[in-house]
Amino acid sequence: MLFPTLDFLLFFLVVAAALAALERRFAIKKAMLVAASYFFYAQWDWRFCFLLAGSTAVSYVAGLLIGASANRRTRRRVLAAGVALHLVILGIFKYLDFLVASANQLARMLGLQHELPFVEVLLPVGISFFTFHGISYITDVYRRDVAVCRSPLDIALYMSFFPQLIAGPIVRAAYFLPQLARPADEPIPIAAALLLILGGIVKKVIIANYLATGLVDPVFGAPENYGGPDLLLATYAYAVQIYCDFSAYTDIAIAIAALCGFRFPRNFNQPYRAQRLREFWQRWHISLSTWLRDYLYKPLGGNRHGRRNTYRNLMITMLLGGIWHGAAWKFVMWGALHGGGLAAERMCQPWLGQRSTTPLGKFVGWLVVFHFVCLAWIFFRAEDFTVAAVFIARLGAGWGGPVQQAQPAMVALIVVGMAGQFLPPGSFERVGSMLQRVPYWGLGAASGLILAAINALGPEGIAPFIYFRF
Amino acid sequence: MALTRGERAPFVTDAIPPALRRRGISSRQVLIACVVGALVLALFASRDTPGWAERLGDSNLDHWLRGIAGAWDAAMEQLGLVHPHEALRAAMHRLLDVTWSAD
Repeated sequence: MLFPTLDFLLFFLVVAAALAALERRFAIKKAMLVAASYFFYAQWDWRFCFLLAGSTAVSYVAGLLIGASANRRTRRRVLAAGVALHLVILGIFKYLDFLVASANQLARMLGLQHELPFVEVLLPVGISFFTFHGISYITDVYRRDVAVCRSPLDIALYMSFFPQLIAGPIVRAAYFLPQLARPADEPIPIAAALLLILGGIVKKVIIANYLATGLVDPVFGAPENYGGPDLLLATYAYAVQIYCDFSAYTDIAIAIAALCGFRFPRNFNQPYRAQRLREFWQRWHISLSTWLRDYLYKPLGGNRHGRRNTYRNLMITMLLGGIWHGAAWKFVMWGALHGGGLAAERMCQPWLGQRSTTPLGKFVGWLVVFHFVCLAWIFFRAEDFTVAAVFIARLGAGWGGPVQQAQPAMVALIVVGMAGQFLPPGSFERVGSMLQRVPYWGLGAASGLILAAINALGPEGIAPFIYFRF
Repeated sequence: MALTRGERAPFVTDAIPPALRRRGISSRQVLIACVVGALVLALFASRDTPGWAERLGDSNLDHWLRGIAGAWDAAMEQLGLVHPHEALRAAMHRLLDVTWSAD
């Protein structure tokens, strides 16, 4: 059940009706949201609901055990066991066949005859996200950043809440659980929510979908058939597509959560305007980058033990961040590029110094960072290393030939997508403030009209969001 | 119960800034806004409802829904409410068909 579909609209109308009926009954409202979330998840495959419930049970029990013990060693053991259980579940469902394939490849290289059989487990949608939620909760309880959750209902809602269940944002236990302790005393920000929904649907349905079908998919599918201009524009197009696709999902998730009476954290902040790679990661998929920082980079030692250890920790964090996206070596390469880039940037810090504060320095910084990110996206998007190698090798060729796929409409979509990155800060607040003056039924009617227009302008059928497969 | 760090100081920035959270509506008003939006959408986006109904299953309810969707789209066509949808879709196709070369 994708967000920009009639199925989801009908589902949400039922949820909205139940929320309206349960306005003053907070506990029943939470139970209804858990039921709705499991129904939502069952639309992909009902069997995965048991996995989600199992992951929730692991988190709940581990939290109780950590909370019940004052002994540091016992608390640490329970934390390790809880995190390990989550990682084992993730490993079996997401990485087992990848490990088998890699072992078989290695065996072939060594001239061994025996091959391990594939398990062929179906990847449960959203598993990476709810695993990180579970680990976040157990770790936050261990660190005493959040009180032990004694309510199974609250932990079930934290783990399964449907707006973020499939593709984030990754919501921290310390951020979300306090919202479940008592009903929110603030009104529902309808203007901001509708603005996020409409903006998200424009980004997904019009920009991301047309760029995917009109330029990215054909060019990445057979890069050997295209010249430099098509390949370069397809690279830019993918950068815009993945931003529009993923930020659209989280924008809509944030809005749906707000309409249900909950707050979600910010997940994107115009990432392609970053002038440093470190800044890019402070603006891109913020909930993942801060998660990796707080639950992986800092526990590894962060930047506290000298330069060499800092570079090592950056590399490990980004490699694992890469493999988190998918069980394939191309994601490892993507993570390695970002880890190496972050380490190199830190290494060059004394040299960069004041140079990056001049207008020319800022522009060069932006240019370098944007193209580095685009280069890494080639590995992320390409089917495998061979396709990525052909793609990169052909980028410098065929510049005199005709443009085949990157026609004016595609270039216009790239320009529009990039222009959104350079809107002045505070634009969202200004437009939202203006919309707050419109009566709520007027906002509803206008949203219906705009959705009808987007529906007419978009292609028929909606491709799944890119991050669903992670 | 002691305050947790999460309650004292949030780790992350709220996606919707405080200025936009000060004014808002109740859950009942959210439902009304959603119903109004869905009705407007149903009026002007009826062209896609038969296609949606075709993708449903094969139960009696699904067949009934297919009939409703077809009848609704035909009614909207008679009222002329499908024209904006068709004009926008045709304009988008024209835009997508523009090429750099004249031929």
